[in-house]
Amino acid sequence: MSEHDFGDLARRDTERHLLIAVDESDNSRRAVMYVADFFTGNQDVFITLLSIIPEPTEDFFPTEEKRQQWLTEKRTAMDKILAGYKEILLSAGLKDEQIEIRLSIRPCTSIGDAILEEQAKLRCCIVVVGRRGISHNEEFLFGSTSSKILHHANHCAVMVVE
Amino acid sequence: MAQPGEILHEATIREFITNYAGSDRVPVRFKIITDTSDFFRVEYNDVVVLGDVPYWVKRCEKEGRFGLDDEPKFWVRRAVELTTGATRILKLVFHEEFQTVIAGIKMTCFRSPKKEARLLDLVAGHKNFMHGRWVLDAAGNNVRILEFIRGPRFDDVVAGYGTDHHDYFHHYFLQVLDQYIELVQAIKFLHDHGEKHGDIRRDHIIWDEETQANRWIDFDYNFQQGESLFSFDMQGLGNLIIFLAGRGDVLVPDLYHKQRALFDTLWGEDLSIAYKNRVANLQKIYPYIPDSLNRILLHFSQGANIFYETTDQMLEDLATARADMVSLTGRQS
Repeated sequence: MSEHDFGDLARRDTERHLLIAVDESDNSRRAVMYVADFFTGNQDVFITLLSIIPEPTEDFFPTEEKRQQWLTEKRTAMDKILAGYKEILLSAGLKDEQIEIRLSIRPCTSIGDAILEEQAKLRCCIVVVGRRGISHNEEFLFGSTSSKILHHANHCAVMVVE
Repeated sequence: MAQPGEILHEATIREFITNYAGSDRVPVRFKIITDTSDFFRVEYNDVVVLGDVPYWVKRCEKEGRFGLDDEPKFWVRRAVELTTGATRILKLVFHEEFQTVIAGIKMTCFRSPKKEARLLDLVAGHKNFMHGRWVLDAAGNNVRILEFIRGPRFDDVVAGYGTDHHDYFHHYFLQVLDQYIELVQAIKFLHDHGEKHGDIRRDHIIWDEETQANRWIDFDYNFQQGESLFSFDMQGLGNLIIFLAGRGDVLVPDLYHKQRALFDTLWGEDLSIAYKNRVANLQKIYPYIPDSLNRILLHFSQGANIFYETTDQMLEDLATARADMVSLTGRQS
C-alpha cells in the first residue's frame, strides 16, 4: 500500500489491525517482541510497523545540504531497523502479507499526535508503543509519547509495553 | 570585487554621523565593518554596514542569566541607524552551545540566528513580540536588526504593585492576569505556526511604554525537543504565572527563616517542579488565592500528575480563574 492510498482499508475493518509505533530504542524492540509473542498464530491480524521521524528545521544544520544528508542517513538507519522488527514478527510465524512498514518523515509538533493521526487514517484498532520509563521531571519538560497516546487515543485500544 | 558596504565611503558615513549627532561627535577614527564574523572586532563608535544601511555602534547589551547580572553580550550591540536616527539592537551571529539543567534534567541548548530571523518574519506586526528584520552581512552572517523597546521589564513592573501581597492580589492582580493571558495567547500564536519561543523567562518580557503592551523578546534559543515541541515553553509559562500570582517567587529558605509555621505546612509536592526552592502551591501561603487559579499553579508543582500539553488547555483554565478573580475582587479589570 502506498503512503497515500488507503483504498483497501474497508477490508481491514474486519481484521485486527495493530499499529506498532516504533523508534530505534530497546523499548520499541520489546514492544515488537511482545506483539510477536502475543499474536502469533492469529491469521486475521494485520500489523503496521510505524516510525515517525520529526523533520528538523533548518536551525539545526549549517546548510540545507547537511539537513538533507541527515534526513537520508536517518531514513536509511530507520529502514534497516524497521526491517529488523519485521524479521522479528516473521520469525514468530506471522506472514509477510500480514505486515506493513510505514516510515513517515514529517514536520510535527508532537510525535504522539502524529502517531494518533496515522492510527485514525489507518483505522487501527490497537496502538502498541514501548515506554521509555522517563522520569516525572523529564516528562514535564519534554512530554511523553506514551502518555500522550494514552490520554488522547480515540476509537482504539492502547497497549503500552514496558 | 566590491563588497556591499564599500559603496558607503568613510566621508559619507562621517556626513551621516554629523547630521545625526553634530560634527563635534564624529569619532576621529572608526572602523567600517561589513563582515561581522568576529564580533569582538566591533567596537564602540565603529560603523557596521548592513544592506547598505550604516549602523553607528554603541554599547553592548547585558545578560542577566546564570546569576551573572550585567554580563556584557558582545554579540548584541546597541546602535544608531544613521539613515533614520532610530536606535536599533544588532544581534550578531554567535554560535553558542551549552548545557543547562532544569528540573534536574540536562539539556543542550544553542543559539540559532536562523530561528530568530524566521520568527521575526512570523511575528511582524504582532503587538506582543519584539520586531525587527534580518540581513546577511558580507560574509553571509544572519544579523538581526531589532527595534529598540523603551520600557521596563514586566516582572519589575509587577513587583512594584501594591503595598503587600494582599493589596497586590486584590487590587492589581486581575490586570496582571489579563496581561499574562495576552502573553500566553502570543505564545499560542507561535505554537499554532509550529514554532516555539524556546527561552520563556520573566526577564524576556518588556513593557513597551509607547504601545502599552508587553512584548516577548529573545527567541534565538533552540534545543532538540522530545515528544512535544511545546512542553518546554509550557514550563516557562508555568514559572511565570507562579511568579505573578506570588508577586515574586516565594522561596523555601525565606519561609524557613522568617515564617516557620508556614514552612512546616509545606510538602515536597507543593514546590515547583522546575525550581525546587520555590513554592508552587501558593494557596498554602496566601489562602485567598481561588482554587481555580491554584489548580493552574499545581500543574507546575512536584505533585502534578498531569501537565499542560498546549496553551489552549491552559487558556481554558485561565478563563475560569479570571472569572473567579472578578468574583473575588468585584473588579472587571
